[in-house]
Amino acid sequence: MKGIRQALRQSLAVKVILSTVLLSLSVILLAGSALNSRLSDGIRSVSLTSAIAESRFTFFNAQYQMLLSQGETLEERRQIIADLVLSATTKGVNEAQREMIFLKAPNGNKSAISFEMSSSMIKVSSVPAELRTKVQENTELQYQYGIASYTSGVKGNSLFVGERINIPGGGRYEMYLVFSLKSQTATLDLVRNSLFLTGLALLVLITMITWLVLRQVVRPVRDAARIATQFTKGDFSQRMKITSQDEISTLAHSYNEMAYSIEQQISRLENLSRVQQRFVSDVTHELRTPLTTLRMASEVIYNQRESFDPFVSRSSELLAAQIDRFEKLLEDLLEVSRFDAEVAVLEAVNIDVIALVNRCVRDFGPGENHNNALINVVCKDSSIHIRADVRRVERIMRNLLANALDHADGKEVVVTIVTTETEVAIGVRDYGSGLDESALIRVFDRFWRADPSRARFRGGTGLGLSIALEDARLHNGELDAWGRPNKGAHFVLTLPLIAGSSIQARPISITPKDFHQESFYL
Amino acid sequence: MTLVMVVDDDQDLAEMLGIVLTGSGFDVDLVNRGDEVLEVFRNNPPDLVLLDVMLPGIDGIEVCRLIRLESMVPIVMLSAKGETQDIVRGLEAGADDYIQKPFRDKAELIARIRTRLRRTNADVVGILAIGDLSIDVTAHEVRRGTTLIQLTRLEFDLLVALAKDPGRVFTRDALLSEVWGYRHSTDTRLVNVHVQRLRSKVEHEPENPEIVMTVRGVGYKAGGPA
Repeated sequence: MKGIRQALRQSLAVKVILSTVLLSLSVILLAGSALNSRLSDGIRSVSLTSAIAESRFTFFNAQYQMLLSQGETLEERRQIIADLVLSATTKGVNEAQREMIFLKAPNGNKSAISFEMSSSMIKVSSVPAELRTKVQENTELQYQYGIASYTSGVKGNSLFVGERINIPGGGRYEMYLVFSLKSQTATLDLVRNSLFLTGLALLVLITMITWLVLRQVVRPVRDAARIATQFTKGDFSQRMKITSQDEISTLAHSYNEMAYSIEQQISRLENLSRVQQRFVSDVTHELRTPLTTLRMASEVIYNQRESFDPFVSRSSELLAAQIDRFEKLLEDLLEVSRFDAEVAVLEAVNIDVIALVNRCVRDFGPGENHNNALINVVCKDSSIHIRADVRRVERIMRNLLANALDHADGKEVVVTIVTTETEVAIGVRDYGSGLDESALIRVFDRFWRADPSRARFRGGTGLGLSIALEDARLHNGELDAWGRPNKGAHFVLTLPLIAGSSIQARPISITPKDFHQESFYL
Repeated sequence: MTLVMVVDDDQDLAEMLGIVLTGSGFDVDLVNRGDEVLEVFRNNPPDLVLLDVMLPGIDGIEVCRLIRLESMVPIVMLSAKGETQDIVRGLEAGADDYIQKPFRDKAELIARIRTRLRRTNADVVGILAIGDLSIDVTAHEVRRGTTLIQLTRLEFDLLVALAKDPGRVFTRDALLSEVWGYRHSTDTRLVNVHVQRLRSKVEHEPENPEIVMTVRGVGYKAGGPA
């Protein structure tokens, strides 16, 4: 049942064929039964009319014979009745087409002599009692359908026609003619069978015709669907075949035009973005050579700064520092252009996350730059081995730590590492100026800064967090941010243990454990 | 004096490299075009070649391959392209090391050049055996039986580093610091590519190595004596 419902929903052909079959079946049934009842009624009324006419004649003849036989001897009268019965009965060995029964009426006949007689094959008791009553009460001819029993034991549907006959000097009698309906039933059966077979043949033919017609319509529709699917999958060269001038070809025509237009648009956009990414990448590459010269030159000057006057000396320091910053920006831009061009490649190796985090933390140790913040690493495990791109994970950690230290306002920074069977999470929590809702939305945006007026200790490029997010996603991991004004911020990096497999859970929740919603509002 | 050949199409950078190298006590030959390199190289063979990848005439990778056909001189590629395939292509063409532009500082450049020029494993003398090879460290020769096998200086250093400590498994990081003089490792592809090159020269079947063995998940070690 379920299968049928599904087939109905999925296939136009099944739906159309099924409804055609059901509808034609009901039409054939209606027409067939109407025809059947009309034919049966017709056949029955024709045979009834002829039977009654025959009976009328027979009864009239019988009455007439009776009148003529007045004054004859008993034996002669009996012979006359026997002749009547014989002539009214169709001769035959078996149950005849027509039998006759001649009965003495139970009331209104006091005569001691009985002329009762019947044709030999029929049982007298077959005459329905109801009909006998009607014949006894009426002078008119009466008829009724009933079942006739024969002496051979056979029974059959029959028409009983009866009338009162008076035998002068012999009293009142009833005369019945029994017409067998055997041949009529056979005719009706033949009609019914023919109707049934014709209906069946019609149904089969209609189904086949429907199927043939459908094929002509459905096949192009199926082809169109297949081509559209391939188109959706990215094969923009797929077109529908146009073989005729009908509605299907109109559809194919419009579809092909649409496909062509989409293909054009896509290739135009692809080209645009390729050109744009290529440009960024080229610019960055082209900048590297002069930057190398610049860097070496500034270094030569910087190394001689002792011998210059203070202004030139300071200028050489600023020059060297800005070249550093420029270079970092260039590297970040190149990395961003790789992500945009989707050419960033993950080079996964086995690494120990704890060792990696400790190495990064050591590089940001106290006393570095202008910041005295302490970084505490909290972890239950002594080593956690994962498969990841060491350069990228290290870059994420450095970006998160640099960002935390920049905003920690000298307070401690806590790094938490938690691992499960399938993933590892690293949380970086600071208790500094924090972030508000609007800042949280934009924190991973390129070149976005939480507070433009803030001093930048570490001279970040403004691309660090957005690159970190891309790095995390390249591993199929996630990087989330949390923050409240003056309550600090919390960044959580979640990575699958095997780069590329998916993360099932978040071992560290983004809302830090040491933050309580209530205390924030109080 | 040690002669360094600087090949770069950017004249200013070439000049600047010249200034820095001269300041560090090297003699410098400047070439700006790829198709001029071989002529200068033959007339005045340098001790080391500093080779840019993008060059007019013939590109740096092809130049590197042509030099390798006639000399085992150390070649350090200079690359403005950080992309993996360019680096690997350069190394496969026969470069010993590469430095990405812009360099961290000139000290890094000088340190790399010095590492490539110095006699590594100066403490090792005599003849070492690895597999069915014999290595004459003093004469800088590798033989299989009586056949001499031509190796670049770097390949020789790599082989000696493994052979002098036969039981030890070297991680790629350890080899990077021992053979290339890197202080902190960044790119272990350097090791992989050179091990492949070395194998193609010294192994009977490079796919089934018996001299430079891979220790899965750790690194490499020398095969036992035959």
